[in-house]
Amino acid sequence: MNTPTLAIDNLNLSFKGLLSRTQVLHSVSLNVEKGERVALVGESGSGKSVLARLVLGLLQDQRGVEVSGRIGFAGTELDQLSRAARRALRGRDMSMIFQDPTSSLNPMFTIGNQFHEVLQRRTPDLGTGQAQDTARSWLDRVSIPDTDRVLASYPFQLSGGMNQRVMIAMALANNPTLLLADEPGTALDVTVQAQTLELMRALAEDVGTAVLFISHNLGVVREFADRVYVIHRGRIVESGSTTAVFDNPGHPYTQALLAAIPRITGDGIPDLPEQIDLSHPAVHHNTGPAGHD
Amino acid sequence: MIALTRLIAKRLATASLVLIGVSMLIFAIARVIPGDPARIALGPNATDEQLAKLRAELRLDDSLPAQYAHFVSELLQGDLGISLYTNRPVTTDIAQFLPATLELVLVAGTMMVLIGLPLGMLSARYEGKWVDNLIRIVSLLGVSAPSFVWAVILMLLFAFYLPFFPIAGRISEQYAIDPVTGFLLIDTLLAGKPWAWLDAAWHIALPAFALALSGIGQAARLTRANMVETYNTPYIEMARSYGFSESRIARRYAFKPSLIPSLTIIGLDFAAMLGNAFLVEAVFAWPGLSRYGVAVILRKDLNAILGTVLVISATFLIINIIVDLLIAWLNPRIRHAEQKP
Ligand SMILES: Nc1ncnc2c1ncn2[C@@H]1O[C@H](COP(=O)(O)OP(=O)(O)OP(=O)(O)O)[C@@H](O)[C@H]1O
Ligand SMILES: [Mg+2]
Repeated sequence: MNTPTLAIDNLNLSFKGLLSRTQVLHSVSLNVEKGERVALVGESGSGKSVLARLVLGLLQDQRGVEVSGRIGFAGTELDQLSRAARRALRGRDMSMIFQDPTSSLNPMFTIGNQFHEVLQRRTPDLGTGQAQDTARSWLDRVSIPDTDRVLASYPFQLSGGMNQRVMIAMALANNPTLLLADEPGTALDVTVQAQTLELMRALAEDVGTAVLFISHNLGVVREFADRVYVIHRGRIVESGSTTAVFDNPGHPYTQALLAAIPRITGDGIPDLPEQIDLSHPAVHHNTGPAGHD
Repeated sequence: MIALTRLIAKRLATASLVLIGVSMLIFAIARVIPGDPARIALGPNATDEQLAKLRAELRLDDSLPAQYAHFVSELLQGDLGISLYTNRPVTTDIAQFLPATLELVLVAGTMMVLIGLPLGMLSARYEGKWVDNLIRIVSLLGVSAPSFVWAVILMLLFAFYLPFFPIAGRISEQYAIDPVTGFLLIDTLLAGKPWAWLDAAWHIALPAFALALSGIGQAARLTRANMVETYNTPYIEMARSYGFSESRIARRYAFKPSLIPSLTIIGLDFAAMLGNAFLVEAVFAWPGLSRYGVAVILRKDLNAILGTVLVISATFLIINIIVDLLIAWLNPRIRHAEQKP
């Protein structure tokens, strides 16, 4: 069997304040194979984004952050890499689509400028003209009309949905080995969202990109993911193939989550009643770690 | 472009209003404070006739509004009157003394920007580390004393006890430089005398540094504060997620957004140096506008007082406008404000 692109084992994370210490992730283990699309679902504050940040190595250096456990990337132990080696992976071999599109793009530089620099992470001596062409074709693929105007614009001149498409295009443009997509469709209308999902699917199939897809939207997850992890208050409470988890949920939290779907109007997970049995053991549907159906 | 033109027009209009206000105020105050300018100028032995003649020349017996109207009509022809102290046109005096002051302020302002901003940037990048602590202590020290105190301290230390720098003046006597711009750092180059340029730079270093110190501290502190805030924004996290190096992030992605909020205050500090320069000039016997200004105030030399104040206010306002334009030019939000139909 191949080494998984992402192998998280027994990951713990806590934030230490002046007086208190809050544990945010509790021995989380999670795998994403090459070319696999894995979803991480859970309510707000359950620890989805911090998990993605830890994979990129963005949180480790912050004050008051305590991490234990291991994160393996394509056979390499990330915490054994030097800081520079770890940085070298980012933007080339791993990239992330951030949750908040408009404030995640730098307000002082045009989209074209930022795109150019992202592309240069893969091709350091890429000239402006070539970068423009590549950027334009990527913006086309996320169905941005009038690409020249968008490339010359600053983020504040574009709508939230536009910025989100730009961010998705940037994250895909370097053909990463691992894509961390944190709520990548929230500001998009349904057709564009479907298109971006299709792009990620194509990347997974053509280039073998492993996708960790973080989402509130269970409908989209069911549509997109091969496998699902359900996270609740920093613990993985259920995992397995999408069909297994959706058709045969074993953990009371997952059951409550799925029971709530018909009541969800847009996307997003409603506040669930508090009487969920937290002592219930995690449920792992045994579809094998690769999980391809 | 339209936005910028409009901005300039608006700022110039405000500046003119301010100048009119300042001129009226100083005009009235200078005339209301006790002491007869004619008596001071002519000395105790002057006859009543001589006094009356000078008073008539100066129109001191007219009503205040009439005097002001006369002053404005002369001013519009570029005439600020004759100084009773030097017996020369006030414009000639100012043209002689202003460049020395401006040169001092400009060099100090450049030091403030070139030293203060990088210090603040370093401090923010190494937040909480020893570099940061050191810079914070130094910049706190800088802002904690006014510039004339620094002038005295620096002069005692580095010109008197350790004679590394000259104690007074703008340039050594052996160099004769024809004034073209009045800025010695430019005129020496125009004259093709690099040694004279070095000598002038050596003379200006200490007074300019004394004048700049509190500004350097202020600029460093502001830049640090704004940059620490910028470091917490999602776009810096995104830059990190793309693996850009920390030094590139500091220089490119974090510095520019942090500069804009600091610039307004740095600009004000820069303009305030004009005022602080008076005392620094006094300490270093710098032949600038301050010595002239103090002398004419003591002699109640009405035309010269008004001329000096007006020129300084105008310079202050011009510096402010330049800083505002710089901010507008740096900030894409303002630069592109008018693009939408
Ligand atoms: N820098 C930090 N310092 C302290 N606590 C933090 C920090 N970052 C995140 N947390 C806490 O960690 C928990 C998980 O946050 P995270 O952002 O991962 O949630 P999430 O699952 O992504 O939620 P959402 O769906 O709303 O994005 C939250 O309780 C949050 O308050
Ligand atoms: Mg999140």
